[in-house]
Amino acid sequence: MRQEAFAGRLWSILTRQTIVIVLVGLTVLFSVLNFQRFLSGENIHNVARQVSFDTIVALGQLVVLIAGGIDLSVGSVMAMSAALTMGLQGYGVGTAVAAALLMGIVVGVFNGLVVTRGKVVPFIATLGSMTAVYGMMLTYTRQQPIPGQVEWFTVFGSGSVGPVPIPAIIMLVLLVVFHVLLTYTRFGRNMYAVGGNQEAARLAGIQARRYLFWAFVMSSFCSALSGVLLASRLNSSTIHLGQQTALFVIAACIMGGASILGGRGSTLGAFLGVLALTILANGMNLLSIFTYYQMAIRAIILIAIVAIDAFYATTVRRRLMRASAIGAHVESQPLSEAQD
Amino acid sequence: MSIGHFWRRVRGSMQGQVTLLLMILLIVAGSFLSPVFLTPRNLLNILWAVSVLGIVALGQTLLIITCNFDMSVTMSVPFVGIVTVGLQIAGWELGPSMLAGLLAGILVGLMNGLIVVLTKANPFLITLGTQTLIYAVALILTQAKTWYGTIPGFTVLGRGQVFDLVHYSVIIFLVMALLLEFVLRRMPYGRHLYVLGLNEEAGRLSGMLVNRIKILTFTFCGFTAGVAGLIMTSRLNSTRASGAMGLDFDSIIAVVLGGTSLFGGSGGTLRTVVGVLVLGILNNVMVLAGVPYEAQWIAKGVVFLFVVWADTFFKRH
Repeated sequence: MRQEAFAGRLWSILTRQTIVIVLVGLTVLFSVLNFQRFLSGENIHNVARQVSFDTIVALGQLVVLIAGGIDLSVGSVMAMSAALTMGLQGYGVGTAVAAALLMGIVVGVFNGLVVTRGKVVPFIATLGSMTAVYGMMLTYTRQQPIPGQVEWFTVFGSGSVGPVPIPAIIMLVLLVVFHVLLTYTRFGRNMYAVGGNQEAARLAGIQARRYLFWAFVMSSFCSALSGVLLASRLNSSTIHLGQQTALFVIAACIMGGASILGGRGSTLGAFLGVLALTILANGMNLLSIFTYYQMAIRAIILIAIVAIDAFYATTVRRRLMRASAIGAHVESQPLSEAQD
Repeated sequence: MSIGHFWRRVRGSMQGQVTLLLMILLIVAGSFLSPVFLTPRNLLNILWAVSVLGIVALGQTLLIITCNFDMSVTMSVPFVGIVTVGLQIAGWELGPSMLAGLLAGILVGLMNGLIVVLTKANPFLITLGTQTLIYAVALILTQAKTWYGTIPGFTVLGRGQVFDLVHYSVIIFLVMALLLEFVLRRMPYGRHLYVLGLNEEAGRLSGMLVNRIKILTFTFCGFTAGVAGLIMTSRLNSTRASGAMGLDFDSIIAVVLGGTSLFGGSGGTLRTVVGVLVLGILNNVMVLAGVPYEAQWIAKGVVFLFVVWADTFFKRH
């Protein structure tokens, strides 16, 4: 038992270091390739701003991943939130933002209920809600972008306090909040327990369902919040928002140490993962790499992240956690070491 | 034979009832909405419209029985078309270009299989990744433009009919479904698939070459995507990277509607034909009812969730 705990600790240190290595490597690479523009104050400022939107979503996703679930609907919720924020501006900015955040909470509640009460596997459940919310967004926007009407609202997304973009400030606040929540509160520790070993958690009296439920609510709320900020930044909403977000933030969290199997992950890791992927996109943009090639490169990296994580999960962590493919069959005890 | 045993058997067959109920409701709604709804011509048209989806769903069925998924079909189907038409534009003959397209589909399936099986990664996420990758490659090749077929005989596959009544693609779909059902029920490979879905460890211990079977199934799904891609491209005589949006989702709904459980270990391709048919009827009814394109996504999402919930409710307990 002690051996396994040590192996687990070692692994989380290793993954933490890997992401840092990757990050440093990317930064060095792009600095060398494009020194002036990459390391310029303006670019760093832009990257800091861009990172904020995705990190906020990633924080919510992280909680769901830790609890052993997954939330594919984050992109659609973000897009719908942006649409509501822009579309309802006629009723007042405050009302529009409140409506968008409320929508996020409602979708989160819905996801939570379908998963915990309907007992539908998170992947499938959020695949369904992703599609439904996407359809709602298309219906509401009539497939048109919605321009903003209130000029001062853009300050949240586009403004800065000194050199620091406002979204980055919001992101930092949330990072601290989530970190404290996950690390220092019973709520957070139980979340890890639920994801790590549902059966043990249940026996210890922790109601897995309740934690998974709140995880989904938090995830959708974060997506909605990010959508509001994004709408503020762009001063409009388009139907293409959030289409790559789900896979992006999931991969980022995994890069930072989270796992599909649940029970692990950290806010810092999630942030570093988002940062690495954002720097990658930023660097490629500065090198004027054609958009479609960027897409291909990003896809390859995402596949690699998921594949490598899975590979290590089964060879290194196999004894530490129960494997479950979409939640279907469960390998109870490894009966033999034999693999073909 | 207790009450509990009896209740469990009833519940097991209930899931099929849900779909049948849905189909009856839809047919009733359809016949209210339009006088031509129940005509054989309309039904055959529906079958023609869903034959592409249906063939993809057949490959998806085999995967789902083993607890795997292929989300990359949305992009591999058009990609097959892009390869085929691209080669035609480059001067290739009809036959070789279509074979090359089919091969492209097979290779995509093989790639999916190798990555998912050898790393034991989550098939959803991996195939979502390969979906994006193939989309990127398709966009790079086509520059987001539509390509048009250049060989006149190309459209025979997708548009041709037997006796001016039943389309070739419908026949291909139904024949494939029957053949696969036979393979699933009677041949060792098919039976292995069910075992893998129910208890992979047991299968491995009894000597099944688990990895090889799974990779083969992924490759076959790529093959069906290839066939579907050829038919779709031939029907439209054109191809574009985003030509099959929503196919991943639709194929999974069709399989679940048909009664194959997402938890693996049960189901079959004949059921998938039913599921595909119901989905086709649903689409037809929505169009007749004037439901706008955007709202169709909502309807599909809701239907999907409901059917999946029913699947979980009736099967898992």
